Amino acid sequence: MNCEVCQLKELEVEHFEIREVLRCILHTIVFHRALGLVRPKDIDLELFEITYVQCGDVEVEKKIDEKIEQFISWVEKHPNKKSQICLSFYEVKNKQQSWFTNKIERLYWEQWYVNLNVIQLPKAHSSKSHHSKVLFDPGESTSEERSIRRAALEASLRDVLFQIIKFVNEKKDHVPPISESVVYFPYEITIPSSSDSAFGMDMIKRMLQTGHPTMLS
Amino acid sequence: MASSHSNVHSEAAKMEQIITEFHTKSLHIILESRSPYVSSRNFSGEQILSSPSSSSSSSSSVRPRDKWFNLALRECPAALENLDLWRQSNLEPMVIDVILAQRPVNWDTVNFSPKRELVRNLSSKERYPFCWGSDQEEIGCEGKREKIVERWVVKYESRKVRDCSSGSRRSSNNTLSNVYKKSILLLRSLYATVRILPAYKIFRDLNSSGQICMFSLAHRVSSFVEPFTRKEEVEFQRFGFTPVDTSCGRLCISVLYRSSLSDVNSEPSTPISPQVIPDYVGSPMADPLKRLPSLPISRGSPSSLPFSRRHSWSYDHYKASPPSVSFSPSPTYSEPHVSISNPRSRCYPPMSLPPHPPETSLVHKKDTSFDEYCPSPNFTPSASPSPPIYIPGGHLSKGLLRSESAPFSIPAAMLLSSKQNLFPSSPIKIARSGTSKIEKSMGPIQNGTTIEKLLSLGKDDSRRYSGVKLSANSSPQVSFSRSSSRSFQDDFDDEFPCPFDVEDIVPNSRPESFDQKGLVSDPHDPGGFFPIRKSQDAAVGALVCMLKKAPPLRQDLSSTTNLTEVSRPESWSNNTLELSRMSSGENAPSQSVLSSGLLASKTTADALEELRSYKEMKNLLVSQCARSHASSPAEPSSRDSNE
Repeated sequence: MNCEVCQLKELEVEHFEIREVLRCILHTIVFHRALGLVRPKDIDLELFEITYVQCGDVEVEKKIDEKIEQFISWVEKHPNKKSQICLSFYEVKNKQQSWFTNKIERLYWEQWYVNLNVIQLPKAHSSKSHHSKVLFDPGESTSEERSIRRAALEASLRDVLFQIIKFVNEKKDHVPPISESVVYFPYEITIPSSSDSAFGMDMIKRMLQTGHPTMLS
Repeated sequence: MASSHSNVHSEAAKMEQIITEFHTKSLHIILESRSPYVSSRNFSGEQILSSPSSSSSSSSSVRPRDKWFNLALRECPAALENLDLWRQSNLEPMVIDVILAQRPVNWDTVNFSPKRELVRNLSSKERYPFCWGSDQEEIGCEGKREKIVERWVVKYESRKVRDCSSGSRRSSNNTLSNVYKKSILLLRSLYATVRILPAYKIFRDLNSSGQICMFSLAHRVSSFVEPFTRKEEVEFQRFGFTPVDTSCGRLCISVLYRSSLSDVNSEPSTPISPQVIPDYVGSPMADPLKRLPSLPISRGSPSSLPFSRRHSWSYDHYKASPPSVSFSPSPTYSEPHVSISNPRSRCYPPMSLPPHPPETSLVHKKDTSFDEYCPSPNFTPSASPSPPIYIPGGHLSKGLLRSESAPFSIPAAMLLSSKQNLFPSSPIKIARSGTSKIEKSMGPIQNGTTIEKLLSLGKDDSRRYSGVKLSANSSPQVSFSRSSSRSFQDDFDDEFPCPFDVEDIVPNSRPESFDQKGLVSDPHDPGGFFPIRKSQDAAVGALVCMLKKAPPLRQDLSSTTNLTEVSRPESWSNNTLELSRMSSGENAPSQSVLSSGLLASKTTADALEELRSYKEMKNLLVSQCARSHASSPAEPSSRDSNE
């Protein structure tokens, strides 16, 4: 089975925007891959005039939030880095019994790459990491600049949502058949980590492309 | 598959049903997020109330309809109704127009600006008789205004039978389950898309509680497309969902949507009350001159007052939006309207609202009556946020209202600041300036002799006059020209589109101080001899330059000079006399005092206020002069001549 890959447009976000932006994107994707009976839940973003849809599954919400927290803490340790979150859908196949073990194989059929550029405006607030929902961080850039930037991000986020929708529309053949019992296709969310060599490679590539000095840390 | 619960047995029949249900679901999805007061955002609450069984996402309590495409939606009566209307054939397209409509009946069709009740009662003609010509009112054209914001087309395009059979044979791609899966995907993305499109914001605003929305969303479901005009088409963007191929055709959904609903978008979300009008006042103030020339055009839609958020978007919209739907007249109109009329709006209580109340006797009703009418407190601060330019105007009318109850106060106010003396002899003016009236009226006649007189003045005199001139010319530059531009815009903007045209009334309007003494200065050509005389202040030079630029207009103005002067209150000339006296002693301080004195001449109240400060200043200056006496013997003589 071929694995379709969708690279979403990079979004330039501030630290406190990570959570909402990621929730919006990840839930939208999962909603489109939750082909079982769902009762959609509309969620209005707080920071943006955007409404996205959740598939209404508590487990999904929990898992996504968990991963977002992990990502945020990773961002704090690795500031000023472009980062990527990968949402992969897979099918579980029982591989033929090999002589040593009964291995479960994941067959990835779709991968979504969410690209974030977490920017740090002056006076970073890493200390506020646990309050990343802080809406306004006074004393930094002017409110005008902020609102301009916010509007730009909102438009970009909307674009990303459209990108997801278009991708879902265009690529339908690779989606596995629906099984009655499963609400959503199994998925995993990968966030960058030091142990992830593939991701590290990606970062090195990016570093070489952008030449960003802080990447060397 | 989920569709298996249907009673249909043959595959073709199942396909038919999928197609039918696909239409139904699409309609449901679209209307659910476009038909107000039914929203999945209130999902939990509503569902619990209306149908407890569906309050959770568990599939155990799912209605049969929810199972279709594995998408449980809320009840949407609108969708069901329309479905009944539409349900004809799978082969007919389903066209869903989402219409933005104004809820109340009052609507200005020409300008596409709503005329709400509140607004209408406060509307321009009645409240601001001076501001707008009644002939440009467009109140008459009212009716319901609708505007299509989205057009969804859900259709099943069937292939020919030959293709159909070959299609189904060709691949397993179009099996029932595959078609069903793909239509689920399509409907998922439809569900997400309807929430991203701009119209959803309107829906959301409509649904959020506690808001009074002047707009509502309606919908029209039909099976034929009423084509847009080419002009309309330009305003729409198209998003086509990738069709789902079936064995015999394909399922298509596409939408034409207005990419920008800025004109309406911000409005439903804003309550009627003119909350933001203070800001509003500010914006035109910031650039009053730019807006003013366009006033004549914009008069037509006084109702734009309530578009309280307009200031934030109207400019862009004004430029960008096509005329068919634009509020184009309103933005320009409304700004001057609001800015100008705010001070005066207090004068005209909404209750009275005489059609042409220049002589209204209700002038001195209080602000509160107006505020009652416009519940928002925002009119109250209206004067303060406005830039200093207009504040004189605001004070003017307010001051008049406070100090006088005469019915003519408004006209008088306008006359004070305007050279257009359409009311040559209002009682107030006569009463105020009776003593100087005759003398002043001679001003223009004596213009020819003025220069000689002035040139022949002694050194002391000339110095004294320079002081006066200075004050008379420099300060009106600020106060008169601007305040007059304000009233011009109200009444005569056709004739005087540019406020600066009025500047040269400045010389005309202040010679009283000379007249009082029987001296006539030439208001028009002071620049000619200013350089000759000893101007003791750099401001004189600037003044001269300014006056030199003015000449082209003076011919027109000379004819109206009398009347303007007539309107000058006594207190003003008295003040200036005192001040001119003082100016001979201390030029620098007196100048500032004088300029403020001229400002004050606009209203008696302000004049009195200023007078008080003058007195203080005078005392100060006199004491200083007294000191300077001792040092310079020439000074006393000039002061004596004044007295």
